[in-house]
Amino acid sequence: MENIAVSKYTISFGLSLALSSVVNALLVVVKEKSHTVTAVMQKITGYQWVTHVAIILILFAFFGWWFARINNGQGPKIAVNRLTKTIVAGIVAGGLVITGFYLIAD
Amino acid sequence: MNEIILMFHVLCGVGCIITAVWLFVDVLHAGAANRARIRRLSWAAFIFMWSAFLIGGYWYVFDYPADKAIILQGPWPFAHSFFMETKEHLVIMLLLLASYLPVVTANNLAANREARRLVLWVLAVIALLGLMIEGDGATIAMGVKVALLAGQH
Repeated sequence: MENIAVSKYTISFGLSLALSSVVNALLVVVKEKSHTVTAVMQKITGYQWVTHVAIILILFAFFGWWFARINNGQGPKIAVNRLTKTIVAGIVAGGLVITGFYLIAD
Repeated sequence: MNEIILMFHVLCGVGCIITAVWLFVDVLHAGAANRARIRRLSWAAFIFMWSAFLIGGYWYVFDYPADKAIILQGPWPFAHSFFMETKEHLVIMLLLLASYLPVVTANNLAANREARRLVLWVLAVIALLGLMIEGDGATIAMGVKVALLAGQH
């Protein structure tokens, strides 16, 4: 086991950050491809983008909190170097999907 | 008034980038002497980013539709269809990164090399993503300008 001497919230919110970034990108694709989804998101807050932001922020907070509770409240056991790679991979993947979608698919 | 709101949005975004770069250098030399400053700067980056986001979000929802209509009728419609569309979604990831920063800088960075490297990566991504988004904003503004200029001829 590598060094995990960081707070459990560093791990839990780091994983949540990577996950939320990917979900953010997938939500872009889904809402741009489905008028129904866009209409529902528009209806919730009045602006589909505001709903989009709210969903991602809620997911980030929820997963950060939830990941911290697993392992009897100790949080996930993951090496910090692996966490770093996961966060960077999540951000890069999310960024590429969003940029690629508007560049090619939309 | 709209222009002042927009300029303050950009100012806060630049503030976040500068703070991230400053923090990067401080974290490279993390020790007992700068621990408190690193924590304060990470909260400053957080506040700058949230301010930029809230001001920009307000402007995007209430004022941008008029600019969007101008851009789409001009010679640079991609200023909206690509640059604004990517900007409004990439900025959410930047917001998450800036929100994560105070959490990760709460660790003892002087004693923990891996944690220090994690913070450096987060800061580097904030700075690069921030610069990219500033560039998107400049292109959007240029999209409005070229559309208005084209309308004069």
